[in-house]
Amino acid sequence: MNTKQSFLTALFACSMVTGTLMAQTRVDGDTLLNPAPDMWPTYHGDYSGQRHSPLDQITPENVDMLGLAWVFQSNQSQSIKGTPIMVDGILYVTATNQVWAVDARSGRQIWSYQYPENDGFHIGQRGVAIYGDLVYLTTPDAFLVALNRHTGTPVWQVEIADYERGYWSTNAPLLIDDHLIVGVSGDFDNLPGVLRSYHPETGELQWTFYSTLPSDLRNPNDPDSVFDEAMGGQMWMTGTYDPELNLLYVGTGNPTPVLNGNARPGDNKWTGSILAINPDSGELAWGYQINPHDTHDWDAAEVPVLIDAEFNGRQRKLLLQASRNGYFAVLDRVTGENLVATPFATLNWSLGEDNTGQPIPDPTKEPQQAGSLVAPDESGATNYRSPAFDPDSGLLIVSAADAYGLWFNKEAHGDYGWAGADYTVHSRGELRAIDYRTGDIAWRYDLFGGAGTAGVMTTSTGLAFTGDSSRNALALRASDGETLWHSAIGRVSNAPITYMLDGRQFIVLASGGTLYAFALPQRLIQ
Amino acid sequence: MNVHIKGLTSLPAAIFALLFSSLAAAAAQEEAPPYPPELAAQGEARFAAACGFCHGRDAAGGSRGHDLVRSELVADDDNGDLIAEVVRNGRPNTEMVAFSTSVVSADDLEAIVAFIHNQRHLFATLEGGRRSVLPEDVAIGDADAGEQYFDDHCTACHAANRDLAGIGSRMQGLQLMMRMLNPRADRRGPSPSAAMVTVTEANGQRISGALEYQDEFTIALTLPNGRYRSWQTTDVDVSIEDPLQAHVDQLDRYTDADMHNVLAYLLTLQ
Repeated sequence: MNTKQSFLTALFACSMVTGTLMAQTRVDGDTLLNPAPDMWPTYHGDYSGQRHSPLDQITPENVDMLGLAWVFQSNQSQSIKGTPIMVDGILYVTATNQVWAVDARSGRQIWSYQYPENDGFHIGQRGVAIYGDLVYLTTPDAFLVALNRHTGTPVWQVEIADYERGYWSTNAPLLIDDHLIVGVSGDFDNLPGVLRSYHPETGELQWTFYSTLPSDLRNPNDPDSVFDEAMGGQMWMTGTYDPELNLLYVGTGNPTPVLNGNARPGDNKWTGSILAINPDSGELAWGYQINPHDTHDWDAAEVPVLIDAEFNGRQRKLLLQASRNGYFAVLDRVTGENLVATPFATLNWSLGEDNTGQPIPDPTKEPQQAGSLVAPDESGATNYRSPAFDPDSGLLIVSAADAYGLWFNKEAHGDYGWAGADYTVHSRGELRAIDYRTGDIAWRYDLFGGAGTAGVMTTSTGLAFTGDSSRNALALRASDGETLWHSAIGRVSNAPITYMLDGRQFIVLASGGTLYAFALPQRLIQ
Repeated sequence: MNVHIKGLTSLPAAIFALLFSSLAAAAAQEEAPPYPPELAAQGEARFAAACGFCHGRDAAGGSRGHDLVRSELVADDDNGDLIAEVVRNGRPNTEMVAFSTSVVSADDLEAIVAFIHNQRHLFATLEGGRRSVLPEDVAIGDADAGEQYFDDHCTACHAANRDLAGIGSRMQGLQLMMRMLNPRADRRGPSPSAAMVTVTEANGQRISGALEYQDEFTIALTLPNGRYRSWQTTDVDVSIEDPLQAHVDQLDRYTDADMHNVLAYLLTLQ
């Protein structure tokens, strides 16, 4: 290192120290165990995936006074689909190849970062993670990029998986202690399902978990290593975490080839499953396959929501999932035992459940040469849009859809990648509040259109924030779905978040390329 | 020999036409692709990134987007004039969003157009098709059983000798199947009937028209004279009659056999 370089390094170190002193929060694993009310420090807000905020300034009585506080225009045509992260009064917002740091008080852009244009799949971006002075972005060409969160300057980047083989990433990483857990997508090619853990400071690879093994790791003498011929099972959504059990929960995607089930007979473990993984070692603790032998691209990647609640007279650690195939499941998250498995939306592909609570797929509803009419459609009974849990009413509020698709597969479609064709015939979106004890639907709200794009967030005052499928941001009463507030900002494209700043509770959500912040008028705030 | 060259209605003429089209395909195989391979290769990479998720990396249909190599719009496209319009403006009420120049530059679009046309050329020379749904794939039903189902479930609105006369010669295959299941799912054929809405104002006046927009708070319609009207839903009573709701209700009742049988019956309505 020459003199000039060491001087610059020293200067940089100085500025980093100053930066650290000026910033009040050092986000690490401990921060996420009990997030302060003035932040939304991780994709789901906390580790539980409940998207339930303790904030209480906005109530059913005053929510109709909610007004626009600010707007951030990204000035580009991509929708903001991800969840913004908020720390130290700064929001970190993403779209594909793009991060913006935005003042959470005013909506003013502080910096923006553009990842170099690349040939990976450009589908969307679900959000960043933060650790210390770093903010992390995943990219269409399956890289993990660490930026200085004060300046937006790249610090390091690592390749998560090879995009030329067909991987890409939209994933919002999850920080657990000194593990940054990162997932990828890739079901247009027959690829092993990959989840990786990196050291958040250095980007050093700590472990790789495979939901389906690469062929070179398959041992014909070890039945656990060779379940069957399926590949896939990508873990493309952000998981949840129980610190007491030290278990990471993550849903896995569909098997490949996607629509051709004949090429991969059997259950195709661990695709379409909810998995519990030790975050220190990457070892599987247990798995429950809610979507065995998937032939409809349904995944089981939806958020595994963690609640501690009474079940049949006993306090238990539970896991809830409203799955894309139309099943709602409740598991004991210590053991993986299934407690409830019941449809929450129209479906016609299941013959019932076996004695472990695993649905039994109807083989005649696999894609056919002449077409089979199957509910739900490819988009599913729900999807990536986050649900929220309201503990007071015991309801999981889910953006659901009743939908039918036509599904085709024939020999000429082959056994690689998509390997079939499908078309949505009909879809009607409805918000459904599911009683976790039974799976019963407590209330419904017509979304006035097809499947929605908005996630849900609840607050401790019994409010549920979301959006319909036409043009409205909504606040509903969580206990009965009664509409208490709306604003026609356009179709909400992400899941709402909330935080306190300057004694004021903000609700932030996106429509298209624009972020909107709502709050009560200053004069109403004591 | 009874050959009507003009209408190609006789069997020998149809065979002749078929023979001729496969000869044309064979000739196309030897023709050079319409665009320079370098430009198409550039387009392939940009297509994969921006369009491949929905339309397939080879443009032959993907997870939700249409097969572009067999698309009529692509067939009618002249050097990107039609493709550019869809790319830049998107298609309203579908998942096809608009791509601005910040996402797909003018150069990208030119290369993408070259790629799509070269893929169309390539697929025209291939037998079968990887993700195609051919008319003969779906025409497996029993037309007699389909007629029975039709008589039992469809005649409140339809008649074989009235609105559906000749449907089997106007539409086939996947398009007819989609239209039969839900006319609104067929975006290629004629626009299906709109839902009709009647709004009753506080003074008792009733206004009817085609449903334009509805959410919990707003109702909008188009009057028979083409004018647009909207109301707050709290101010009026709203009653909607959707003639196509019967199609949606039918989705819960069809077995796959029913569906194929009714399709087979519709195909006999020449």
